[in-house]
Amino acid sequence: MIWVTVSLAAGTLVGMAVAMSYVLGWANRTFYVEVDTRVEAVIDALPGANCGGCGFVGCSDYAEAVVSGRAPVDRCSVGGSSCAAAVAEIMGVEVARSWPYRPIVHCGAHYDDRLYRSEYRGEPTCTAANLVAGVQGCTYGCLGFGDCERSCDFDAIHVIDGLATVDYDKCVGCGACAKACPRNIITMIPFKYEQMLAVTCSNKDIGDEVKIVCKVGCIGCRVCSRFCSLFTFEENLPAIDYGNYCTDFMDQLEKAVKKCPRKGIVFIGKPSPKDLEAVEAHPLPRVIESDFKTTVDDTEWRG
Amino acid sequence: MPVAPTAAERFIQGILPENPVYRQLLGLCPTLAVTNGLKAAMTMAGAVAFVLFCANIVTSVIRHLLKPHLRIVIFTLIIATFVTITDRFLAAYMYDMSKTLGPYIPLIIVNCIIICRCEVCASRQSIVTAGADALGQAGGFGLALASIAAVREILGTGLLFGVQILPATWPNWVVMILPPGAFMTLGLLLGAVNWIELRRSERADKKRG
Amino acid sequence: MHYLTDIILIALGAALINNFVLYYFVGICPFIGVSRRIDMALGMGFAVTFVISIAALLSWTITTFILAPGAPVSKWVAGFFVSPEAAAQVDLTILSYVVYIFAIASSVQFVEMYVRKFYPSLYRSFGVFLPLITTNCAILFACLIIFSRIVGVDNPADAWDIGRALTLAAFGGVGFTIAITIMAGIREELELCDIPKPLRGAGITLIVASVLAMAFMGFTGVDSGLRKVLAPAAVESAQSAEK
Repeated sequence: MIWVTVSLAAGTLVGMAVAMSYVLGWANRTFYVEVDTRVEAVIDALPGANCGGCGFVGCSDYAEAVVSGRAPVDRCSVGGSSCAAAVAEIMGVEVARSWPYRPIVHCGAHYDDRLYRSEYRGEPTCTAANLVAGVQGCTYGCLGFGDCERSCDFDAIHVIDGLATVDYDKCVGCGACAKACPRNIITMIPFKYEQMLAVTCSNKDIGDEVKIVCKVGCIGCRVCSRFCSLFTFEENLPAIDYGNYCTDFMDQLEKAVKKCPRKGIVFIGKPSPKDLEAVEAHPLPRVIESDFKTTVDDTEWRG
Repeated sequence: MPVAPTAAERFIQGILPENPVYRQLLGLCPTLAVTNGLKAAMTMAGAVAFVLFCANIVTSVIRHLLKPHLRIVIFTLIIATFVTITDRFLAAYMYDMSKTLGPYIPLIIVNCIIICRCEVCASRQSIVTAGADALGQAGGFGLALASIAAVREILGTGLLFGVQILPATWPNWVVMILPPGAFMTLGLLLGAVNWIELRRSERADKKRG
Repeated sequence: MHYLTDIILIALGAALINNFVLYYFVGICPFIGVSRRIDMALGMGFAVTFVISIAALLSWTITTFILAPGAPVSKWVAGFFVSPEAAAQVDLTILSYVVYIFAIASSVQFVEMYVRKFYPSLYRSFGVFLPLITTNCAILFACLIIFSRIVGVDNPADAWDIGRALTLAAFGGVGFTIAITIMAGIREELELCDIPKPLRGAGITLIVASVLAMAFMGFTGVDSGLRKVLAPAAVESAQSAEK
């Protein structure tokens, strides 16, 4: 009797194995999905950081989009122009030279420069603080709660002394910080050189009102545009034409920087050796960690 | 190429540093389900130890024959065989315990610990190392189960292994034996282990720098 | 009517009263791992429900026709080699675990191929979870319950039919989805809270799960109360039989 059971058991298992192999083999052939071999090659060429900077969910998603023709070959900001060239070679297209895009924070006010700040006890995020009136006097500028810092996968933007500051050595230009900022004061611009000129203010109010809320905000005096033609003015705020920006204008730009009464136009980007030398002796800026103690935290419970 | 850990290292790592429940967060289903009492927990730990040891040995023996995309299925079938043996053994010799543990013995088949150890260690290293790894991990698992079961049983019934520990006037915290108590105990003990680990690494950092 | 009552009570039992995650402790690993965001949690829940139904179908068929004592197919095959009385006693239940896990692994593989071919957008949203489900306790657990209701009953006439088995499996998956989605919603809110470092991640999830389990314990007794409402005649006869 036991031999009947054993042989039946063995027979069942073998039968199941054979049946499943047939079914899975058939399914493998019938449900075969055509995968373009170029997708694998493109995935290999991409850096594989899955940062989402190209606008797709991950590197494999972008690779599939490129091979199916839905996306251009030079979207990867992490890989840069070398990666774009490699992908273009796989796809058999030409790629024009493009510049890396890097973020600029259009605000120059640290904690002490901002006036009319009040105690905020809500969610410690910029998105939430932006909805509440009166967190700080300036309704355009950086709030300093670190939404951009949390969105960065590359540790390239930090809130230092209340102001979002980009570390251009680490930044790869994925654009996550620009998307995260609820006040839209971070913009991505093409970095044609290691250091670019930037207007570090977003306040569109007239000069008197700006002076009330900020010690370093732009007052719209238009001195910069008098010295350099790259500045255009819109609603009391200068904007630099980055399309035509080039070093031919350097002496004009330097004059505009010197003449700005609020010292709000600065060169930003990777520090040059001269800059590093100049700050060697200085102490590092202090990083403020928010301490969200409420008024009841230290009281004794008298209930 | 990093050097593969030796048998002794695998054994020591499995008990506390790479404890399957507290550090790797694997095998949480039986951890929560059978820790009502220390007796059931230790029976489960013994069963898992047996299955893990045998599965590791067998996997290590056939490790050169494994095809890459079929290996998980092969591991699972090997484990299923040993779990069937364990289940029938318990039903024959420890019938009451088998009824208490119920469906959780067959669920050892899909216990992440065993598949993980087969994948990480047994399919790559020799029989001796695989055996030591199995014993270490099973020891760690037993330790974790014992700690949780002790807390739940003492607070929930005042007994430990059937022996009265707390005075009879103890109002049994029945919730500890029920599902909420299981989750809460594991969560808090996990927090405790993490806290100890944080303190240890802080002290190590301070000593280093 | 009796059948419908049974189905409703099994469904309610599997989904809410004896929730797979919060009462039976199966499927804890994805419960903690995948419950960070609501969309991921829903994707995982749908995948589990889908696979658990297919696995239940397969395991009920194999158990009823091949594994159970006196099962038709085994009896027929054994009839060629031994006498009919001996053939009726063939009992292949020892194979159950191996057969179930084999069936689950194969069906997951099949489902993955099918979904990838015909529903590519669906595949992109929950296809990545499918290989993880092979080692999900919940699927095997559903199969084991069905096994105990076919093989473990004293009266063979009470053995579950395919409808009851599928209901248990599908609504067990629904219960899993409910639990994991609630947990995902709570965890999204917890993102902004100041949780002590040792408890971050799995610790706070387990503590929240314990409160959730306590809440779901409030459903106990719903099935017996509902049974009294839906089938009062059966309850009365059972009570008078006890007396």
